[in-house]
Amino acid sequence: MQASAIGPAEEPSSILWGLDPIFSAFARLYVRDILQMTESTQVPGIYFYNSHPINKVDILGTVVYKRERDDFFCYGVDDGTGVINCLCWKSDAFKEEDHSVREKHSVEAYGNFNLVTELRKLRQAQKERSCLDIGEVLRVRGWVKTSRQQREIMGSTYYKVNDPVMAVQIAWMMEVPRLYRECYNKTIQLNPTATGDSSVSMFSKATNIIKDFFKQKMVTRFRPYDIQDLLQPLVFSQPQKAPEDQPVAGLSACQQLHQLLKKVLEDLQNEGVIYRRVKSQDEVYDVTVQDKDLLLAVKDVISQDSKREKHAEKGCHILHILSAVRQRHSLNVSRAALELVLKSLECSSDIVSTSDSHYTVF
Amino acid sequence: MLPAAAVFHFPWEINSGAVKDGESVRTFGRLVCYQPEESRATLSAHHAANEHTVVIHTLFVEPFNPILGAQYLVLGEIENAEEVDVRVQARVLNCIDGVNVALLQKAINEQRSFFRERECTQDGVAQPGDAT
Repeated sequence: MQASAIGPAEEPSSILWGLDPIFSAFARLYVRDILQMTESTQVPGIYFYNSHPINKVDILGTVVYKRERDDFFCYGVDDGTGVINCLCWKSDAFKEEDHSVREKHSVEAYGNFNLVTELRKLRQAQKERSCLDIGEVLRVRGWVKTSRQQREIMGSTYYKVNDPVMAVQIAWMMEVPRLYRECYNKTIQLNPTATGDSSVSMFSKATNIIKDFFKQKMVTRFRPYDIQDLLQPLVFSQPQKAPEDQPVAGLSACQQLHQLLKKVLEDLQNEGVIYRRVKSQDEVYDVTVQDKDLLLAVKDVISQDSKREKHAEKGCHILHILSAVRQRHSLNVSRAALELVLKSLECSSDIVSTSDSHYTVF
Repeated sequence: MLPAAAVFHFPWEINSGAVKDGESVRTFGRLVCYQPEESRATLSAHHAANEHTVVIHTLFVEPFNPILGAQYLVLGEIENAEEVDVRVQARVLNCIDGVNVALLQKAINEQRSFFRERECTQDGVAQPGDAT
């Protein structure tokens, strides 16, 4: 019977595929499952087994068919559940064979070790590992491709397995069902469907949007309604359960927007990105690193106090700078805000840090 | 083109007729006799206090070095002609002497039970008809 086929509507979005660890691994599927996997409707070349996106596989089986061309081998591999063609490109070792044969035998000046002969033997061994006959056991790792409506494996790594007492094949037969039970047959939830998750990601998106806006427009000062519009698309593009229930179900879009804005402003204040120089009825925020007066105040504090004997050797401690700036500039400067300012001043080489929390001016 | 997949079967299953004519199988056993002039080899396996033999037609895998008493793995198609008993037309005949037969049996059973389990869960879960 077939492995559960996945309908196009059930396919997880391609942006989430990287979250599935199996996607990055060479999956040890049975050839039967590889042949029956459904191809993705989003990205051709990617296949699905039980809602896992697969594009690379690892198989072990007996060679039952062989076709050789100048550049590649095409081996039909049978693992007991199905047979699949594996395209195995020949390595350069094959093409260099003629040269090595014609090479003159160099003098055995280094005792029994002749580099040329050894290299030739190495190339020969490499050739032997990739040239197989029918009945031999082959291991192939490669990408799944569909060519001329036939599924194939484009081998990236392949080699002959020496398995005289079937130890490797037996171990494989015991391991693969275990892998299926533990990984491949377990459905993975790739969609963050819980509302909690989506609100967290929306919040971080919102914070990033605001931060980018500050940087691009070199904003020095703003009021909340100035940036409210930026967050509108986030709130209004949220997937609605059913438009009819909208007014009934919890908060309206406007209230959501307000809440989001409040949260973002709070978070940005805690990070020190913004601060309120003057706390009044009028809700005005200053963007820390763009506030020229603040930068100047901090620089002045450090340059003046560094001259004093007390701070001459080590520089000014950050807490000292903080209390001085609070007296001089604004009581609402937080430590986080000050740290951002100090970092910015250091980047422009206006001040120098002498230790983890000491600063001075040369 | 590509031959059909050779599923593992035990020697006692081959003779009992559990495998259909023309089906590709993989099986094993000890080489007890070889008649090169008729291209005929016999593999034998012990199970449930009985000796089960499988006849192999070796035309396609000759010449090979026959080691009487050694374990062999054969891969081929079932031939169920009227005048002869069930035999396997071998495409692959490998000497696997030294194999842990009990472990091999265990591995085959493990694989089978996995597929059975999977089929049961799939049939159990009502699959909406997938129009592929």
